[in-house]
Amino acid sequence: MHVEHPVKLVVEDDLRRTRLTVFFRLILAIPLFIWLFLWSIAAFFAAIANWVGTLASGQPPEGLHRFLCKYVRFSAHVNAYLWLVANPYPGFVGEEGEYPIDIVLPAPTPQPRLTTFFRIFIALPALLLSTALGGAGGRFPASRGRRGTYSSSGGGALGLAVGVLGWFASLARGVMPKGLRDAGAYSVGYSAQALAYLLLITERYPNSDPTAMLEGVERPPVHPVHLVGDADDLRFSRVTVFFRLLLAIPHIVWLALWSVVAILAAILNWFATLFTGTPPAGLHRFLSRYVRYTLHVYAFLYLAANPFPGFVGEEGKYPLDLVLPGPTRQNRWKTGFRFFLAIPAWIVNSALGWGLAVAAFLTWFYALATGRAPWGLRNFSAYALRYAAQADAYVFLLTEAYPHASPLEGAASAPEPVPTPAPVPAPVDLPA
Amino acid sequence: LNRGAAPRAALLALLATAWVVAAWLLWRSTVVPASVRLPHLDEHRYFSPSLLHQTATFGRFSVVSWVLSTVVELIALAVYARKGGRFARESAAGRLGTGMLLGMLGFALVWAVQLPFGVVDLWWQRRHHLTHTGYVTEIFGNWLALGGQFVFLCITLAIVMGLARKLPRLWWAAASPVFIGIALLFAFVNPYLLSTHRLHDPQLRAASLRLERIERVRHIPVVVEDVHDVTSLPNAEATGLGPSRRVVLWDTIVSEFTTREVTVVIAHELGHLAHNHIWKAIGWYALFAFPGTFLIARATRRRGGMASPQAVPLSLFILVALTIVAQPIQNAISRHMEAEADWAALQATRDPAGATALFRRFVPTTLDEPDPSTFEYVWLENHPTIMQRIAMAQAWRSRNAR
Repeated sequence: MHVEHPVKLVVEDDLRRTRLTVFFRLILAIPLFIWLFLWSIAAFFAAIANWVGTLASGQPPEGLHRFLCKYVRFSAHVNAYLWLVANPYPGFVGEEGEYPIDIVLPAPTPQPRLTTFFRIFIALPALLLSTALGGAGGRFPASRGRRGTYSSSGGGALGLAVGVLGWFASLARGVMPKGLRDAGAYSVGYSAQALAYLLLITERYPNSDPTAMLEGVERPPVHPVHLVGDADDLRFSRVTVFFRLLLAIPHIVWLALWSVVAILAAILNWFATLFTGTPPAGLHRFLSRYVRYTLHVYAFLYLAANPFPGFVGEEGKYPLDLVLPGPTRQNRWKTGFRFFLAIPAWIVNSALGWGLAVAAFLTWFYALATGRAPWGLRNFSAYALRYAAQADAYVFLLTEAYPHASPLEGAASAPEPVPTPAPVPAPVDLPA
Repeated sequence: LNRGAAPRAALLALLATAWVVAAWLLWRSTVVPASVRLPHLDEHRYFSPSLLHQTATFGRFSVVSWVLSTVVELIALAVYARKGGRFARESAAGRLGTGMLLGMLGFALVWAVQLPFGVVDLWWQRRHHLTHTGYVTEIFGNWLALGGQFVFLCITLAIVMGLARKLPRLWWAAASPVFIGIALLFAFVNPYLLSTHRLHDPQLRAASLRLERIERVRHIPVVVEDVHDVTSLPNAEATGLGPSRRVVLWDTIVSEFTTREVTVVIAHELGHLAHNHIWKAIGWYALFAFPGTFLIARATRRRGGMASPQAVPLSLFILVALTIVAQPIQNAISRHMEAEADWAALQATRDPAGATALFRRFVPTTLDEPDPSTFEYVWLENHPTIMQRIAMAQAWRSRNAR
């Protein structure tokens, strides 16, 4: 399913951040904003000329293409800098290969005139998702003559969450958390693809598949809470897609009722874990089912999976399923302050929720027309759902592992390591 | 002859006899004095030819729309009964969950095929200034209600399929009391789900207190529901059981009708409560629930019975078909109770002129035909016709003039 996209994200960032520039990041970015704004005005007219030129000749004119490539690259650099996805101050000319978060753009190629003519309309779904993610903050003058600007993103929830949380983390540790950096890089990359598509730099539609976007980026360690399922099964029933919201209502009602009990169970679990150091098996099992059921319902509702889910959160019964660990010993300090520790995860979760809602909205139309889910959007939805499940599991003390914001699956999806025989215990010298 | 056939036939005959006796008793418990003979009245004496023409045109269109939508609904459900089982593969929810999915899809299908008729009916009503509801509201505004129906359907199917698993042949006998219980609960809760406010008119409040005393019903709040944003149709209802009982008047009737006319309306609704019509309606529901669920159980046996999700599409078709078949009977029962409430209102208000004025006002405000065709009367009228209601007022006047 993975076909290489001509607009590629390059991540060479080493996660280290300079505390001083992090602290003043927003102020330092002001000249970049001004320059980006001015450049956007020029890019707006260049884009119109490029559109006319491409319609006339069937291929973007070389000079305009080069100019717009630089614009896309520069806006990606600005956003990477703003959201702390990269550390160094970017240059003002969008030079390729000069920044740790970079965009590789293709040479001009022939483009079909029909899709070129309707490009602005065809690009709308991608721009919608890009706006929700908030990676590339290219400010494009509005086309209706108002003096306002159209922001292809900039205010997106994921970028903002990454920037705010990354600011605190980088100030404290001098290092950007890898999960947040990956999430930010993903949104920057996707928005660059969307902008490149809009500006006729490529005819390939943006690909929201996180794995394809972050190819080459090191995978995070395996998280004890992760998704399993048949990734290649994209078939959807058009009838159940059409009535999806209505069909989900009984599940939403049931989930709401279950949530009331789950919250009470979570409070009990918190006290028990605080005293004994380990969640009681019964409560752990109950809450695990609740978290799994929540995933099933959301996967169904947000069109990340096709079948109508069961009502009990049974393991192994749903195509997009959740692996949860058994009860293990947990640090009492982390347990005691779990609610507060989970706040950053909730912020990221709610930011991803916007993207998830947009992805579901777009998938609804696509699946209704084709009877299949789009590969990229489905994988993005799976990422958002996985993070939500990890956050739930963390809050409910099912695991001590903090949710990992990276869009990449943990290394568990790599081939399983060959089990090695247990070492034979060395003989112990007994004291005479 | 099959050895078990005779006892079964005897049991069936016994049950049928019991049903008929119960129905007869229930019917007899609702009475308009036998000596009341309704005079034949000529509608032209009460309504102008142009108004009669308008109501006839309006009614004809509505009947055609109803017939078409009913036929389309039955066809859609018949097709779904035949082919709907294939949607079971879209479920990972086990037996019960799959049954719920198939049930909801059936309802969704009915909604989808009836939507065009709903839109056309709305257009027709808007054209006659009977409603202000917009088309977008008509299409999307009812989704919450549809969602509520889905939840209710899921609960119903969970009960039926759960019982059918334990009692494959007798689930219907166990399920019917559960449904009656749910009906009782809904009847009790319904008033609390309505958004209403107090009746402000002091004259009407005084009248309602007086009527309560006359009709021997006490402490019945008379409240007003604001509906003028969506419709100009007048309406009122008696609702609730025990402490939840109340009379609900639409603000369209309070604001557009005279005090004298609204007094008759309040007396009519109090008449429903005084004669326990809601309890009797639940009694009738109980009488129909047992044979209805029995027929569904029989018909779905070849699909594995109601324990199997594959039987759900067929059960929906049978349920809807039975409901349509039973509609003339239900309408007759409803008309019977409405006639008793009309008589109670006349007895309480002793104002046949006010009642006649009210019934006459209904025609231009609702475009109901004063004297509809037999087909409409049998299938669609759940109240006595306007001419029958005016005739009853005349009959009361004659009876009390002697």
